[in-house]
Order: sequence, then structure tokens, then C-alpha cells
Amino acid sequence: MPLLEVENLSKRFGGLQAVSDVDLTLRKGELIGLIGPNGAGKTTVFNLISGFYRPTRGAIRLQGDEIAGLRPHQIEARGIARTFQNIRLFKDLTVLENVRIAHHSYARYGLWDSIVRTEKFYEGEKRLTEESLEFLSTFGLQDRAMEIARNLPYGEQRRLEIARALATRPQLLLLDEPAAGMNPQETKSLMELIEFIKERFALTIILIEHQMRVVMGICQRILVMDFGKIIARGSPGEIQKDAQVVEAYLGRQARRHAAAD
Amino acid sequence: MRFLTRKNIRSAAGILLAYVLLQGLNSAGLLSNYVLFIIMVALINAILTVSLNIITGFAGQFSIGHAGFMAVGAYVSAMFTRFVLNVGPDTPFVWREPAFLISLFAGSLAAALVAYLIGIPTLRLKGDYLAIATLGFNQVMVVLFNNLDFVGGPRGFTGIPKLSDLTWVAGLTVVSVLIMRNFVRSIYGSQCVAVREDEIAAESLGVDVTRYKILAFTLASFFAGTAGGLLAHLLQLAHPSQFTFLKSIDILLMLVVGGMGSIPGSIISALVLTVLPEMLRFSQDLRLVIYPVLLIVFVIKNPLPYLRRVTAQIQERVRAMWVNRFGG
Repeated sequence: MPLLEVENLSKRFGGLQAVSDVDLTLRKGELIGLIGPNGAGKTTVFNLISGFYRPTRGAIRLQGDEIAGLRPHQIEARGIARTFQNIRLFKDLTVLENVRIAHHSYARYGLWDSIVRTEKFYEGEKRLTEESLEFLSTFGLQDRAMEIARNLPYGEQRRLEIARALATRPQLLLLDEPAAGMNPQETKSLMELIEFIKERFALTIILIEHQMRVVMGICQRILVMDFGKIIARGSPGEIQKDAQVVEAYLGRQARRHAAAD
Repeated sequence: MRFLTRKNIRSAAGILLAYVLLQGLNSAGLLSNYVLFIIMVALINAILTVSLNIITGFAGQFSIGHAGFMAVGAYVSAMFTRFVLNVGPDTPFVWREPAFLISLFAGSLAAALVAYLIGIPTLRLKGDYLAIATLGFNQVMVVLFNNLDFVGGPRGFTGIPKLSDLTWVAGLTVVSVLIMRNFVRSIYGSQCVAVREDEIAAESLGVDVTRYKILAFTLASFFAGTAGGLLAHLLQLAHPSQFTFLKSIDILLMLVVGGMGSIPGSIISALVLTVLPEMLRFSQDLRLVIYPVLLIVFVIKNPLPYLRRVTAQIQERVRAMWVNRFGG
């Protein structure tokens, strides 16, 4: 059974058809890229899958279960985590606290335990902190644990956001333009990080990205969107030669040139 | 027994010492009832400020209807002592005191229940809209109690037995603040903070944003109800005019001066801002100018970190003197 199945997914905002009839099947362990010009509807697809928008039409199935229409935290509980195009850390909290909040379901103590401070509370808190610190060390952020998130350099903020999303232990990770604003060096280490977490956590990943080097470098399959529709799909090699993709990115004129080549 | 840390033992000893001192001074006749009354009102305000801090400081929801929940607590607990449990001046001690606890609990629970029901629709609103909705709720409560004849209507609910004393007020202040502090310093509190910091990010990490908003709102209102009950049984009166939005603003003011998200700040600020107007009474009408000016100064130049530094310096100096004189 595919991990994720999306069928005829559509979203309309008033007069704007943001996403129309998107189909997508994802097997476990795949890393696929979602590209397209600005405004093509890529982030809307993420918002639909992660439950921030309710689809106008269509189905989203995770391991055969319908998840369209569930609230974001319910979808997260079923194993889909995401990052955001503009980093959404808890900027005034420490790095450790950011991860601890994501780890919340592992505290395993109740409201009563926390109010009367039972042994279960202390054990849960200790486990939570230890696991979060260990988690941070996987990402090389252990020395930053007590720093306020906003004081981290940009690259590390991205790294922390990915770490925090993974702290919820998802099966499927949605990365929304993780390389945006990164210099070539940071981009390179990000690509290594993505390949590392994919193996380490046995993840399936959908990646929205504008930097072609990243997409072409690490994705097995690529989907291209334009005006809310998927206009092409295939391996990186196929996509680079696809006439419709060239047109979407560069316009009709370029297509003629490409055809002449 | 992990809560028996040195710091906790020291705080407990300090609170106990203050309590014994006040009680002793009072029974020796050195502390007037007026001063004792102000201290009790200050402690009740501390409960209110800490509880509003849970909603506004920690969960980040802007509410200016806190006095409404206080009113529910005050009226319901007074109804319990007066009509349900029939406590009067000649009720024997062994029944009177537990009856008071039951009444207070009933009042708090009623406030929490109302908060829960009000919270479900209103907590969908954000920022200014939530503030207006909670303000409206506050006003509805005032109008409601103004028109409920069996609790006195506009004359107020009179004849409430005087059951609040220093022991009750101080004891319940400690217990309430401790419960709220423990709530805040747990994963539940952390998730409330996550909601305050970034709702979308919190939701994406599996935090049920609505649930935590309602949880914080309900818990805080429970203690607002406790405070209301204590006040009603201290004044022996519950009057709609005590619970208007002006009272809500007062609590909000104490919260802002003490610092959002700081529990010690809330307590100190509630104590100072309750006592201060009383201390300014010597200046007669001028206090209506001095108090607001002081408030403006407090808000612009937050004195709490400064106070903390001064306290630390004094402690250090005392310790140094001690070491000089007696060596180590």
C-alpha cells in the first residue's frame, strides 16, 4: 500500500482555483520534489495535506486512512510533520524547549501528576529532557540547547526547525523551501542533512524547493506544478527536458528556442 | 520527596514565618483589623493576578473579563453558604469550616464551568476580538446579578457570614498559586506557551491549540472563582458593582506591572498595587494623581528586576558582614 495517496485534490479560494485535481502517490521511503513557479500552489498542497486548509474536493489517504478534513494536530498525530517556508520557531524559547514541546506526547503524565508533582511527573520530565537533548545531539545542536532560538544563525534555525518537526517522530515529512536564503555552503550541508535524516529516521519526504541544485541532486522523482495543476512528473533528467516545464519557467519564447536546439 | 529542595524549604519557612508573625501581631493587638483586611485583599488580588497570568501571560489570550468569573465564584459560593448549607453566626466551628471549603469549591467549580462554556465559542477569536468578547461576558454577568432578585439584585447579596480570615486567605493563596505554578511548569504549561508563541507552529507539532486555550482559561477561572468566594466572605457582601470591567482592568494592570509570564512578578505587583493606594491616603485627593503617575513609572521603568537586584545585594552584604565577624 502506498504511504500517501492524493486524489483529485482541489482548493478554491473564492474566485481563485489555487489547486486543481492534483494526484500524487508516494511509496514509503521516497524523496520527491515539488517544484513550480511562484504562486503555482505548492505550499497550498502542503497546507492541504497537513490539515491547515480543508480541501474543496478530493481525497488524501495516509496508509489507506482518509485524513482530509482532520485538524492539523490530528494529522500530526498520524505521522505527518512539516516545516514552514518562513521559519516558525518558538523564537523566544530555548532550543531545548522548542524540541521538548514537539516531544510532548512522550511525557506520559497527566494533569493531576503535574499539579501534585507525583513521581510519574518527575520521571516524565526527566525522560523528556534527556530524550530532547539526545535528539539535539543527533543534529549537532546539543551545545545550543540553552540558547534562545532567535539568537541562532539562520542555517541552524532551519536545522532546528527540521529537528523539531522530526521530534514528533513522523513517517512523512513535508519540507517547505528549506534552502531558501541559504548560501551555497549552507545549502550543501542541508542536502547532506536531508539525506541523513531520511536514512536515520526511515522517512518519506516531499520537498518544495526553488534551488534546482537541491531538487535535482537529491530527489528521486519530481512533480512540477503551474497554476494549481501538475504539469509534469518524472525523474530529474526527464523534467529538465520537458517542454511544458521549460515554458512554465521561462515562457513560450524559450520553448521555441529549446525546440530549435 | 523530590519537592523538598533547599529552595522550596526556604520559601515554605518564609511563608510560614510571615503568617505566624501576622497572626501573632494581630492576636497581640498590634495589628489593626484595617491593616489585616488590606493584607487579605492583597492576597486575594495575588490569586487573581496569577490566574489572569495563566490566560494572558502564558497562553497568550487577551482577556478582560476576569472579574466576571470572580463574580460567579463570589455569588455561587455565597449562595452555598447562605441557602444550601445554611451557615450562620451560630453554626458550630466543626461544620462551619468544612462548609466554607465546600462553598468555595462550588463557587470555583461554577466559575470554571462558565469559563469552559464561554471559552468554546470565544477562544476562536484572537487579540482585540477576544478582549471585546470577554469584556462583553463581564458586562453580562454584572447585568445578570443586578437582576437576580433572590441574591439581592442591585442592592447586593448581603448577610454572607464572615468566614474568610487570614488562615483561609493565606492558605488558599499558597495552594492556588502553587497549583498554578505547577501547571505552568509542566508540559501542559509549555504547550500553552507554544500556543502563545506561534499557534500555527504549535498546531503543526501536534499541540491541540483549542484544547490548551480552553484548559488555561478554565483553570484560571477556577481560581478567579476562589478569589471571588474569599472576597465575598471577607466583605460579607457580594455586589454587582464590585465585579465590573473596571475590576478586570485592575487585575490586568497588576499583571502588566508585574510582568506577563512571571508568577513572582504577579504576586509582588498585586501586593504592592493593593497596599500602595492605602498608603497614599495621607495625601487625600492628591493620591488620585500620585497613584496613576506611579503606575506609569512602573510600566515604563519596570522596578522588579531592580528590586530583585537590591535584595540580592542586601543578602550579599549581610552574608559578608556575618563572615567578617564570625569567619565562615
